[in-house]
Amino acid sequence: MNTAAHPPLTGSHCRRIGVIAAHAFTQLARMKVFYFLAIFAVIAIASNFFDLPQHVGPESVGANVLRSIKSWSLGAMTLFAVVLSVVATALLLPKDVEDRTLYTILAKPVPRFDYLAGKLLGVLLLVMVSLGLMDVLMTVVLQIRTSMVVEQQTAMAAAMGYTPDAIASLRGETLANGPNWSLQWAVCAVFLRASIMASLALLVSTFSTSTLFTTIVSFLVYFIGHFQADARDFYLQAGHAGEGSFARVAALAVSLVLPDFQLFNVIDAVIEGQMLPLFLLGKLALVAVYYALFFTIASWFIFADKEF
Amino acid sequence: MAAPVPAVEICNLVKDFKTSFRRQPLRAVDNVSIRIMPGEVYGLIGPNGSGKSTTMKALLGLVVPTAGRCAIFGKDSLQVDSRNDVGFLPENPYFYKHLSGAETLRFYGRLCGLRGVRLRERVNELLALVDLEGARERRLGGYSKGMLQRIGLAQALIQEPRLVILDEPTAGVDPVGSRQIRDLIFKLRERGITVFLCSHLLEQVQEVCDQVGIIFQGRMIREGRLDDLIAIEDQTEIVLRDASPELLARITTLVEQASGTTLVRTGKPRTTLERLFLREIRHDQQ
Repeated sequence: MNTAAHPPLTGSHCRRIGVIAAHAFTQLARMKVFYFLAIFAVIAIASNFFDLPQHVGPESVGANVLRSIKSWSLGAMTLFAVVLSVVATALLLPKDVEDRTLYTILAKPVPRFDYLAGKLLGVLLLVMVSLGLMDVLMTVVLQIRTSMVVEQQTAMAAAMGYTPDAIASLRGETLANGPNWSLQWAVCAVFLRASIMASLALLVSTFSTSTLFTTIVSFLVYFIGHFQADARDFYLQAGHAGEGSFARVAALAVSLVLPDFQLFNVIDAVIEGQMLPLFLLGKLALVAVYYALFFTIASWFIFADKEF
Repeated sequence: MAAPVPAVEICNLVKDFKTSFRRQPLRAVDNVSIRIMPGEVYGLIGPNGSGKSTTMKALLGLVVPTAGRCAIFGKDSLQVDSRNDVGFLPENPYFYKHLSGAETLRFYGRLCGLRGVRLRERVNELLALVDLEGARERRLGGYSKGMLQRIGLAQALIQEPRLVILDEPTAGVDPVGSRQIRDLIFKLRERGITVFLCSHLLEQVQEVCDQVGIIFQGRMIREGRLDDLIAIEDQTEIVLRDASPELLARITTLVEQASGTTLVRTGKPRTTLERLFLREIRHDQQ
């Protein structure tokens, strides 16, 4: 125990946050959360068979199945990412308090903000890795199926006497429904939405007494977040109630605290084969960063004064 | 030469907890002051609910004092950097079950800024100290209660703190595990580490502590050096080995002849049940 023989200990905030984040990731990974990837694989493969009735013609051959793969895959990704971010965040803090492992961590030179930020980043890392794996699986399935559809369409169009230009145009339209950068941006949008939910669950868990309460409240806010923009517009345009300056300030305050998840519905357009401009993704990223920071700082204010 | 800074200085600590609506707050700690100098082993004893754990939590900044202040080596314990010099083992700790013993120590070491060779060496050293080298890669979910307490003690020591705080370190541990932890406390004392422990196992506190404080209903009712507190000032003890009956008779006669001295008791000293148990187990193992 010769302390003089060693240089003094140094530990930056970033390093400590990184240590806690890596630990939270390991903890969740060892809870076998990645098993849900098997369910996703089944969904991605099964979506190949959800082919709706269609008109016979090269334009429509396989078009629906490509949409179906994207729709089911992105839907499952959204569901898994949101559930994972809420449940994992809601689980980590109360578990540490209940097991008193929190005492041993806060008894080390670890600021409470570092602890919270580390836990949040650990969950986000897990969501990111999960989405990355699901994205790879979706892209592979979609790539294989797109190649098959293009081949089928080309053969049918050639048999029906289409010109080479028409075949090339048809091929371009089909490839737009296959894997592309817009699809990757859509996956990023799913991650951004999950980030907001994780930071919201972190805030709730700092004052909640149970994982169940945190989960229910978080999902309630998620649900409200899909309707708050409509409700706000309706309120502001509904005669006298929405005309005063108080009403406008109140509506603005609500939108500053409650995220508008309708913004993330751009994913639907990607499923339909439309392009997602990068600036739109940048806007979503700014929205997500704002809410994630807002909720994390609010969590810190509550957690900093919390007694254990 | 300047006076050494106390390892622990608790001054007039008061801690009230809010209770349900309109009721008086509960006073868990009432004007407690404790001063522990570097290298001492201090035992805070008291029944359950007497305020021992709250005092320790206030010292670690886990609860904020209602009044008074706590300092570790002169640094206010509400400041994060005061925890650079302290290791803490809470009562009945449940560490992360998904980590192995070595991973647990690496995690806590990294939190304290250790890394690389220094961290690796420290982990190996501590696993050897707490006799868990054979279980270093086993997950904590498979550890016994005594092993958990020992890995808990190892994590408390990971950054080579000058002060170790132990809250009921042997609660729920069998006599063998309890003895191992007691021996570890002796080792800490030999290395000059200050130990602040609270327990309601009085015999154990008596064995290891230099200073003792007795806390009851949140108030410190007695404090001082253990030897001073438990010595019966007007009595003297002589313990003899292989004394013949004739010698004992002569001593008794001498005492009876001396004026103002009374023979209170003679007989054979007794061992404790714990020592008997440990001796029998060792004998059976051999």
